[in-house]
Formats: sequence, structure tokens, C-alpha cells
Amino acid sequence: MDVPVAASGVRDATRTGTRPRRRRSPVAAARERIGLTFVSPSVLVMLLLVAYPLGYGIYISLFDTNLLNRWDFVGLKFFNESLADPGFRRSLVVTVVYALLVISGHVLVGVTLAVMLASDVKFNTVFRAILILPWLFPEVVVALIFRWIFDPIFGILNHALSMLGMISSQVAWLDDPIWAFVAVVFAAIWKGYPLVMLLSLAGLQSIPKDRYEAAALDGAGRLLQFRYVSLPGLAPILGVAVILEFVWWFKHFTIVWLMTKGGPVDATNVVSIDIYRTAFQSFDFGRAAAMAVIVLFICVAFAIVYRRTVPDEEA
Amino acid sequence: MNLSKLSVALLARGLLPGLLLGLSATAQAADDPVTLTVLSSTIVEGPEGVAEQAAADAFMEARPHVTIEFIGVPANELYAKTNALAISGSMPDVFINSPEFMAQAHDLGIVADMEETLGADYFQGFAKGPLAQSTIDGEYQFAPWFTIPNTLLYRRDLFEEAGVEPPSDWDEFREVAKTMTVDTDGDGQTDRWGFAMVGTNNGSGAGRFFLVLRAHGADEPVADGDSWTTQFDTPEAVAAFALYGELVADGSVPPGPLQTGYGEAVTLIASDKAAMMITGPHTIGAVLDQNPDMAGKMAGALLPSVEGVEPDVNLGMFGWAVSSDSDEKELAAEYIRFILNRDNQVAWNAATGRLPTRLDALEDPAIARPELEGFIEAAEYGYQVPTATFYPDLFSVAGDAYQAVIIEQKSPEEAAKGAAEQTERLIANNR
Repeated sequence: MDVPVAASGVRDATRTGTRPRRRRSPVAAARERIGLTFVSPSVLVMLLLVAYPLGYGIYISLFDTNLLNRWDFVGLKFFNESLADPGFRRSLVVTVVYALLVISGHVLVGVTLAVMLASDVKFNTVFRAILILPWLFPEVVVALIFRWIFDPIFGILNHALSMLGMISSQVAWLDDPIWAFVAVVFAAIWKGYPLVMLLSLAGLQSIPKDRYEAAALDGAGRLLQFRYVSLPGLAPILGVAVILEFVWWFKHFTIVWLMTKGGPVDATNVVSIDIYRTAFQSFDFGRAAAMAVIVLFICVAFAIVYRRTVPDEEA
Repeated sequence: MNLSKLSVALLARGLLPGLLLGLSATAQAADDPVTLTVLSSTIVEGPEGVAEQAAADAFMEARPHVTIEFIGVPANELYAKTNALAISGSMPDVFINSPEFMAQAHDLGIVADMEETLGADYFQGFAKGPLAQSTIDGEYQFAPWFTIPNTLLYRRDLFEEAGVEPPSDWDEFREVAKTMTVDTDGDGQTDRWGFAMVGTNNGSGAGRFFLVLRAHGADEPVADGDSWTTQFDTPEAVAAFALYGELVADGSVPPGPLQTGYGEAVTLIASDKAAMMITGPHTIGAVLDQNPDMAGKMAGALLPSVEGVEPDVNLGMFGWAVSSDSDEKELAAEYIRFILNRDNQVAWNAATGRLPTRLDALEDPAIARPELEGFIEAAEYGYQVPTATFYPDLFSVAGDAYQAVIIEQKSPEEAAKGAAEQTERLIANNR
């Protein structure tokens, strides 16, 4: 039934171009005020801790500045120069490859170990406790441990390989561009796989047992059960894990910096190291901020693509 | 008397005036408590940290209302930390400044008027060489604390055993490095190398490479009127890059030179795994800290150079500056004067091997110890570090280049050309 506008108590929104307003009861208005009061601390914290730093970072990127007494406006100059700089583009490529390899390693190792832990093996609890240990180590400690493992003179890797007769002289692993890259990827995989392992384990335990029983009745072996029951069940969790991991490892700094400082030459020069050097060795803060903003856009773009390709119920 | 006993005795001498001051300080006992913050890289090093803390303790003992609070940071992170503190408005009262960083500190406006703070007369008491490197446009940027003339440190005992002299040119250097590379235990594997090359891509590595570069006859940047030019792409620089590659290819350098920073190189010397290193006298103290058996086995000599070129020596100087933001400038000046008094300078030298900068301390007979002779001689060849804001960038420019040569990613010519191009870009963007 059509209700006359005047009778409904709602103004003609099409005429004024404003949204229709409903007359609120005092109780509803009070509730709204209370609601706003409750969310305002969170909004304030978000503005202070997220929006302000982001905005300030973007602001700095428009200036040639030492952040104290020199603020020369340069507009988008640093963005243009950074995007045209082969060194910066190379560091982006290195970072993407690094992040993809680390995430692949995490998924491979994490899921494999989760499957093993999900089965009824003996001393399951002990294995869980041991396998989670790398996650508990600070990144600084992990980097230093691996640096010493790969040390050419005092490192245990060369010692072990020498004992096995596999090398005849000390190998400087971290001086070789390829091995250095492999070493930092390996250390990062070792450090980070427990997160994927725990998420996958939780995911596996949430898959109803009857699905496996049905698959078994249909003649599926363990491999097929994993392919057609476990993996689809894990997909939503792995999807979330991958996006979190990508953003995390794309910005990663500590392990690479402490193990190789981005070297040899620029073989492991991930973008975070490039930004750090620009800011704190060249003291070129505007340029560093522009590079950081570019990285922010890349991470945001990745998140948008992910949101569009993965259905809401899975994400 | 060994180094540690000597340093304790000298520190005690340093304490005496402090104790005397303490008597008069009773009148100040009612003063409000004051905390003086000091940013220092040496406080986190050994044996430097112990000696520096002892001096600070003596200062505090004489002034019970004063607390010295150190902000310790490794030397390679010192300038980044100083910048971060300046930006965040939390500069300490006193901080370490140096010829390499003073242009940047000046640009940031974080240095107080040192002449006004310490008094013009006070600066007359410094040796001329260090003092000349502590000014920008005639304004003092810091009070020089110590120098560590970076030259050649070598194992005197091993050289005598092998019957070789410290090399005087780079061909000799190659030969000596090869001679000193040996398999000491006869297991078929080299376990001592001729030259502990610091090949990391940072100030430690590049600063040493600059000395080799200059000893080949090329300068990293050269003042050209109001601007700068570079000699990275000269034949002399190419020869310097080539030398680094050849020494590694020869096997005269311990494995992993690109990962060998100053600390690792010191460990190589201390553990009897290397015979030479480009460094200053402070390394003697650091080595003895790790291995006291090395006492009397090390000495300094002039760095080799090509014919017709005198070796340049980086004085490796650090000095104390007062922050322009400090509310305790007077006390900061008092602290600096105390740290730089004759007794503390001599005690610091005894504990660390770092050479004093005050004229009265330099005259002290305790300074002229045999193991320091080569370094004291080398100090005469100190050069003026270029005062350019882009200078710290040259470390990574050179670091990238010599690392590329060492791992044979580039020829010396390509590396030199690339370094020159990068330097020219830095010069063009120089503020």
C-alpha cells in the first residue's frame, strides 16, 4: 500500500537530495550516543595508531626532509624516481621471490607436519611442543643461530659436510649470491612454519571424521583422502594464512639484515632493507617514505585481489 | 706491568682529582639530582665499555647528585641512532660525533655551540691534526676524544718467524699475505690466513677500503671548487678493486670475507687465524680482551702504497658533542672536560690502545708503548675526511663495488665505473 509522504512523516528525499530522516525516539538517540561513546576509544586508537602514521608517512614522502629543520616540497618526485630506479625495482623482485618461496615453504612444511600431528602418532604432545619451538625464538636469535651455522670457519654445516667428505675446503655460503638467498629463505621457513602448522592442525581437526569414512568407503587411499577431503577443508584457513604471511614476509627485515645485510652485493636486498638504508644510512627520509608507500600499495593491492578472488565465507 | 694493571693504576690516578673534587662536592650535596644522558658506542664494546664506565663512575663519585645514564649503541648503528633520537626530539645531553658524521649532525642542527660551551681556550689544548678535522666553516663540532689511526696491524712474532718485514708496496703485500697463509697443523687445510679482510658492506668495510684506495692514489670524493668530483673510475681505483679480488682469489683471505666485519676480523686475529688486518691500535686491546696470550705479539706499520703516493691514514676519530637541546650544557661540558683530562686520557689509552687527543696526555711517557709505535707514526699521515652530507652514502657505493669484484660478479673496471656513476648521482643531489 502506498503511504503519502506527509503521512509517513518522512520528507521527500528525492526533492532535497538528502537521505530520508526518521524521527528518533529519545531512547534510540540515547542508545546511539551510548554506542558512539563505546566505539569512540577504538576509533581514537585506530586514528592514532593506524591512520596518523600512515597519513604522516604519505605526507613525508612528498618532501625532501631531514624531519627536523629542512622540509622542501618535492611532490611526487621521489615516487617517480623510485619507480624508475632499477635498484629499487630489483629489490621489489627479490622481495616477491623471497616472500613466495618462504610462504611456499611454510605451507609445505606446515601442512605436512600438521597432517602428521593430526594422526595418532606416539608422543604427539611432545612432538607438538618441539615443533612449535622455532616460533618461540626471537627473529634476532634465529638469524644469529643460522649465521653461525653457515659460518665458513666455525660453522657446524661446513664441519658436518667436511666430516662426511662432501667438501674439501671451507665454503663461504653467505658470500655466494645464490646460497645466501637460499640460506635466508631456509632460516625464514624454519622460523615461520609453526604458524601454518598450528592453523592447519586446527583446520584438520575441525573436518568431520565421517567425510574421511565416506571417502574410504569409496575406495580413496590416504593420498586421495588428503587431496579430496583434507585440502578442501583446509583451503579457507590456508587462504587466510597465505595473505597474512605474504604481507608479513613482504615487509620482513630482521633475519635478512642480520644474516646478510642484503648482500652479497644485492642478492638478498629485500625492499625493507633498501628502505632502511635509504632512511638511516643515506638519511633520505622523503625518498624512503615514498618507497614505503609503494610497498603499502602493493600489500593493499594484494589484499584486494585476494578479497575479490576468495569468496567471503572462505576469507 | 700489563695493560690491565696499568689501566687500573692510571684510572686510580684519574680518580684522585675526582676524590679531591668530591671533598668540595659535599657543598653540592644538597643539589637537586641531575641525570646526564650520554650516547656512546664505545660503552658497549670491550674493553672500552669497562674503562668508560669507570671514568663515568669517578665523575659521579665526585658529584653525588649527578647520574650518568649511557645510551649504548654499536658503532655501525651509531649515526642511524643519533638521527632517530634527533628526529624524535630525544637527543641525549652528550653524544659521540665524528668527522664522517659531523656534516649530517650540523645539517640537523643538533650540535650546541661547542666554543661557547667548552670555552675557546679549551680547544687550544688539542693536537692540531684531530682538531683540524673537528670543524665546519671554522666552527667546532665536537671535542676530539681519541684517534685510532687505521693502518696495518700485523703479527710481529709470525713475521719474525717467517723472516718477513711489513710490506711497503702492494706487490709485497700480496706476497707477504701469501707467505703468511699456512696450514699450521698439517692436516692439509689452511688454518691461518695472511690478511683478515673486512669485506662487509658498511662503514667498517668501506672505511678500510678507502684507505687502500687512497694508498693506490685515488680519493673517494675530491673537492672541486664548490662541488665534488670522484676518482672511483681512475686506473688507480681499478687497481685497488682488483687487489681485493686477487687477495680473495689467491686464498690469502679467510673464507667468507663478505661476512667478515670488524668483530669477526678481531676474532680471527685473536684466535691465531690471521696475520694482518687494516685497523687501529684499539684492536690490540680488543684482541687481548679475547686472548691475553697475544700480548706483545702485535705491532703497527704504515699501510703499503704505490710508488710516489704517501699512505693516507684515517684517524678514526670520535669526539664528544653537546646537544643543542640539552638543558644541562654546563654539566655536559664539565663531563667532557673530565673525560678528556690528562689522567683519564692516559687511562683510556692504557685500557684500549686508543690514542689521546689532548696535548698534555700525548706527552705522557705511558703512551709511547712499543706496540703502539707504528700507529703513532701513522697518525702523522692523517687526512681530512671530506665534509659532505653524502659521504656516508659512499660506504655502500664502495661496499657494493668491492663485494661485486670479490665474488667475481663484476670486473674491477665495471665495479669502478658503477661506483663512479653512483657517486656522481650523489654529488648531483648533494644538499
